[in-house]
Amino acid sequence: MVDLFERRVALITGKGGVGRTTVTAAIAVAAAKRGKRVLVTELGEPDGDYTPLARIFGRDTLPADPEHLAPGIDGCVLWPRRGHEAFFRTVIPVGAVVTAAMNSGALRKLLDTAPSFREMGIFYHIFTLLEEQVSPGKPRYDVVIVDMPASGHTLGLTGLPERLLALMPTGPIAEAMHKGRPYFTRPDLCGAWVVTLPEVLPITESLELIEGLEGHDTPVAGILVNRVVEDPFTAEERAALEPVLTPEHYGYERFVGVVQATAALADLRHRTQTTTVEIPEYPLGSMELIDAMADHLVVEASP
Amino acid sequence: MTVRDLIQNRKVIVCAGSGGVGKTTTATAIALSAARSGRKVLALTVDPSKRLAQTLGVDRNNSEPVAIPEERRLEAGIEEGMLEAWMLDPSVVADSFVNRFADTPEEAARLINNRLYRQISRMVAGMQEYMAMEALYGFLREERYDLVVLDTPPSRNALDFLYGPSRLSSFLDGRIFQLFLPDEGRISFIRRAASRLVNRVNAAIFGAELYGELQEFMGSFSGIFRSMNKNAADGMKRLRNPDDVAFLLVTSPATESLTDAFFFRRKTVELELPFRGFVLNRSQAAGTPRVLPDGSLFAGTPTDVQASALEKLMVLARIEQAAVERHARLLDQLRHDAGSSATAIALPVISSGADEMRALVHLGNVLMES
Repeated sequence: MVDLFERRVALITGKGGVGRTTVTAAIAVAAAKRGKRVLVTELGEPDGDYTPLARIFGRDTLPADPEHLAPGIDGCVLWPRRGHEAFFRTVIPVGAVVTAAMNSGALRKLLDTAPSFREMGIFYHIFTLLEEQVSPGKPRYDVVIVDMPASGHTLGLTGLPERLLALMPTGPIAEAMHKGRPYFTRPDLCGAWVVTLPEVLPITESLELIEGLEGHDTPVAGILVNRVVEDPFTAEERAALEPVLTPEHYGYERFVGVVQATAALADLRHRTQTTTVEIPEYPLGSMELIDAMADHLVVEASP
Repeated sequence: MTVRDLIQNRKVIVCAGSGGVGKTTTATAIALSAARSGRKVLALTVDPSKRLAQTLGVDRNNSEPVAIPEERRLEAGIEEGMLEAWMLDPSVVADSFVNRFADTPEEAARLINNRLYRQISRMVAGMQEYMAMEALYGFLREERYDLVVLDTPPSRNALDFLYGPSRLSSFLDGRIFQLFLPDEGRISFIRRAASRLVNRVNAAIFGAELYGELQEFMGSFSGIFRSMNKNAADGMKRLRNPDDVAFLLVTSPATESLTDAFFFRRKTVELELPFRGFVLNRSQAAGTPRVLPDGSLFAGTPTDVQASALEKLMVLARIEQAAVERHARLLDQLRHDAGSSATAIALPVISSGADEMRALVHLGNVLMES
C-alpha cells in the first residue's frame, strides 16, 4: 500500500513543468475522498496576484487563515507574517507589545524581507496549523499538504531548521525550531513526494533532489511519476511500424516517446529503492483531470 | 524587430519565464548564436543544471567567468566570436562586492569572516536574484562583453526575479539598520521610547546573545549595504534602457506557463522594462511539416497486424496533429499580444536522445532565421 496521506505533513516537490501543483490538488482531493480532514497550502501571501493552486480551486489566491475550498478540503497560504505573529505571542507575554511590534514598519520589513526570517515565519505558521486541535488529542487537520516551490527553493526551506540553529544555537527561535522540527524530520509524521515525468532528465534531477532532501533529514515518501503514457502496441505491431514510420509522420513522436518513457521508468526503478507511483496521462482539463487523478491515487493508496 | 536583431545588437538579453520551460536552454542557444556571429558573449546563469555545464564544458563553481574549451568552441562553430560562461555562485559575488566597497583589505577580510555574513550571503531567497543583477552591472560597467545573456533564477513565478532585488534592497533599507544601531543620545523622546520597545522585542525574539551579534553585524555592514541598495536601484534604471536591453519571455505551450507569460508581459509594461518577445519553447508549431500516416506506409495490402498497428497509430497521430494546430494558433496569439515593438517565435522540441551541442546550435539557428 502506498502511504500517501497517512502522515501529518505531505511536502509535494519537483521541478517546474512536471505538473506538481496539479498533483498536489489531486492528492488533496484523494485524501478528502478517503475521509481525511485536509489542509492544502502553498507559500505565498494572501494578497498576491494569483497562483496556479488557488486557480484550481476557483480563486486567485489562498486566504491567510484556513477557509473551505472543496468538500473536506480547507486551504490557506503559508504566510511569514502569520508565523511571526504567532511566534511573538509565545515569546512576548504582553499582547499589546506584539501588536506594536507587528505594526512597527521597520521591524515588519526586516522580518518580511530578511532571507531566513521569512522562512522561519513560514515554518512557524505551518507548525501552528499542525498543532491546532478541535478537541484535546484531535488535530484540526489530519494532513497538511504543501505545494512546495521549485526544487532549489524546496531545499532552502527543508534545510531551514539546521541553518537557523547554526545561526542561533540558543534562544527562543532555536527552541521553536527544536519543537517544530519533528514535523519535518520524523518519517511517521512527514513525507516528501517528488513529482517527476517519465523522461531521462527529470528523473535524474529528481534523484538529485531526493539526495538533497535526505541530506536535510527530510523523510522522502516516494516518487510520483506524472503523465505516464501506456504503450498501446503489441510487439508485432511495433515491429511492423518501426521500419516504415519517419519523423515526417504525425504520431512518430509519441510512437518513439512511449518506448523512451518505458525505458526511463525501468531505469528509475533500477536506480532507486524509493516507492514509485505512476500517474497516467489524462486527456482532460482542469477539475475533471484533478478528479480522475484523485480516483487513481485513492486506488493506489488502498490496502 | 526580430530576435536576430536582438542577438546581434543588444548588450543585455534577459531570458525570463516560470520554472521548467527551458529558459536555460534558450538563453544558451542565444549566447551561442551571438558568439557564432562574432560577438564577445557571456552566458550568465544562476543555479543551472549539471547537464548544461557538461555541454558547455565548464565547471559549475568557478569564481569568475571562464571561456568554453577550444573543442566545444569548434563543435559549436564559433570562429571570430568568444563565449564565456559563468554559473554564478552568490556567495562569491557577495565577497567580491565586499572587497570592492570595504575601506581596506583588512576591513574586507574581517567582514567576510563575520559569522552572520557567511550565513546571510549563502541564503537563497532574494540574495541570488540580487547577486545575478549585481554581477550583470559589474560586467556592463567594465564593458568586458558585447553581450551578456542572463538566464534568470529558476522560480515558479517569472516575476520573482524582478522583485528579488527590490525585496533585498528593502531589507537593506537604512531604517532597518537604525533599529539595531546603538542609541546615539541626541534622539527624541519618542524615538527613544520606540527604540526601547524595539530593543525589548528584539531581545525577546532573537535572544540577548544573538541580538548583540546582530547589532555588531548591522553596524559594520550598514555602509556596504547602503551601496548595495543604491546599486539595486541603479540596476533597475539600466535594465529600462531599450537601446541596450531586451527581455525575452520563455514559455511552454502549457496553460500555466502561458498564464504566467501573459501576466509577465503586463508587468514589464508596468515596470517600464523593454519587453521584446515571447519564445514559445517545446512547440510543435516549429517542427517540420508532417502528414498523417495511412495504408501507403506498407507495401501491398496491409496484414492484420499492420492494420491494427495503423489503427492505433492513427489515435496518436490525431493527438499530435491537434497539438500542432493548437500551437500554431498559440503562436499567432502571442504575436498579436507582443504588439509592434516585440515578436514571438517558436522553438521545437529537442528529443531527449539528441546531441546537446548540436541541438543548441540548431535552436540558435532557428532564432537567427526568425
